[in-house]
Amino acid sequence: MVRLFNTKRGLLALLAFATIWFIILYYFVSSAASIVTSNAFESMAHQLFGALGLSALLDWPVSEYAIYWLVAVYFFPVFSVLACSDQICSDKQRGTLRFITLRSTRLELIAGRYLGQLLIVSILIMLTIAATVILASVRDTALFGESVIIGAKLAFELLIVVMPFIALMSLLNIIVSSARMAIVVAILFFGLGPLIIAFIKYQLGQEFYLNLIFPGGQINSILSQNGLDGSHYILPLIQTVVLLTCSHILMKRAAI
Amino acid sequence: MSLIIEVENVGKRYGDKQALEGVNFSLNQGAPVALVGPNGAGKTTLFSLLCGYIQPTSGSIKILGHKPASSALFGRLAALPQDAQLDPRFSIASQLTFYARLQGMSKKLALKDTQRVIAMVGLQDASNSRPSELSHGMRKRATIAQALLGAPEIVMLDEATAGLDPINAKEIRAIVAEHANDVNFILSSHDLSELERLCDQVLYLESGQLKQHTDLNSKESERFITLRMKQEYPEILPSLMAMQGVTHVTVTQDREYLLSIAITQNTVAIELELLTMLHKNNWSYAQLINGKTLENQLF
Repeated sequence: MVRLFNTKRGLLALLAFATIWFIILYYFVSSAASIVTSNAFESMAHQLFGALGLSALLDWPVSEYAIYWLVAVYFFPVFSVLACSDQICSDKQRGTLRFITLRSTRLELIAGRYLGQLLIVSILIMLTIAATVILASVRDTALFGESVIIGAKLAFELLIVVMPFIALMSLLNIIVSSARMAIVVAILFFGLGPLIIAFIKYQLGQEFYLNLIFPGGQINSILSQNGLDGSHYILPLIQTVVLLTCSHILMKRAAI
Repeated sequence: MSLIIEVENVGKRYGDKQALEGVNFSLNQGAPVALVGPNGAGKTTLFSLLCGYIQPTSGSIKILGHKPASSALFGRLAALPQDAQLDPRFSIASQLTFYARLQGMSKKLALKDTQRVIAMVGLQDASNSRPSELSHGMRKRATIAQALLGAPEIVMLDEATAGLDPINAKEIRAIVAEHANDVNFILSSHDLSELERLCDQVLYLESGQLKQHTDLNSKESERFITLRMKQEYPEILPSLMAMQGVTHVTVTQDREYLLSIAITQNTVAIELELLTMLHKNNWSYAQLINGKTLENQLF
């Protein structure tokens, strides 16, 4: 938290984040919402969102959230991979970890850094939700109450989505030696991983459900926000627990 | 005296390289202990094992009765690992306060203790500076300060004075000497005269093996006198050999003589005789050491 809000590098990253979200909210969410709600484009938007299986999003009273959700559900996982790429790498490289491990266990270190990153991403999610609430309320003040309720629900959904992504970066931080390398490995994991799994499946002719190891596997099914139940949260939560357990096991044996 | 460190048959292998092999020793509470050895001998590996940064390939280690890195050692074992740096983005005081808080101190106590250790290493004027704004020596002193937080029972300093100017190195030695009665220091350094001044015991590592575990206060080493002359005097060697009670004289290095004294001989009488002889011949000496220098004991 201090690193993000009290260091030059952190504040610059925060400024970049704010700029990106200003563009998204101002040019896409705000203007797209007015298009969606206009009579001329209503039928076209229904056809388009219907074709994508997302027509349930148009039923939300706060239409800004339809665009917000579509952007945020893909933005925040990618952002988490980038923003959480240095959980312990630089401390390990610099030797600072040696001072810390004389005063805390490795489990505390892994859990503390993970929860810290999760808290940061949660705060940023809340900020973007708050900005969307303001946008919707400016358009129609009567929407304030509804937008807060939907916003809270979406914030919770987004939090569940990003949890395994942050846990994956925790694991990569233990395996590799730099934040940049952690991002590279994450890109290879998401880029080449499905190809390798498809190849294994093709060669052996059997389904091993290996695709379950990829965080974000449930995103496509939660995108429409239609008929969601608790089972959609199970996969990301299991992935988070498994990734953090692996991080702990590796960290216990790691040389620092 | 209670046992503080117990190392049993410890080995550490990095791939094909055996960094440490069959290391056995135990240390009791007491005066500082020196860890000596050539580059690549395994000193830093042994330090890292004792601090729990790495796991041994074989053997077992007990620190104050606990495994290294055990939570029972937090605040009781402190260390200055070689080349470890503080985070360059935060002030020294804030980082030390954070470490003190991790050790379990209250916020108020952590702030107070931070000021205490910063003053000990003479960094009062730089306490709010970030490590990136400080010189190498000042950064080193800040890392030494973190090892002194709280009331540790064991403090391991790996090359603590390396890179420090003579005045600051002297300050660090003074800190070690001042606290040697309350804290068990384990020091690694290439400066043998420094270790000789501070330590009573020496662990000598070579090629990953513990070659010697020497007690510098042992009676055996007192049957020697080391004489260092200011200049070269060609006639001094025969004169030294002719002295009564001197059984053997070795020229250990340029202008340095190691006199072996017969067990039956009174060492003090020889010292007086030696000084008288030097005075009579108008030979200037630089140093007279009771016993062998650490360098001569080890090599």
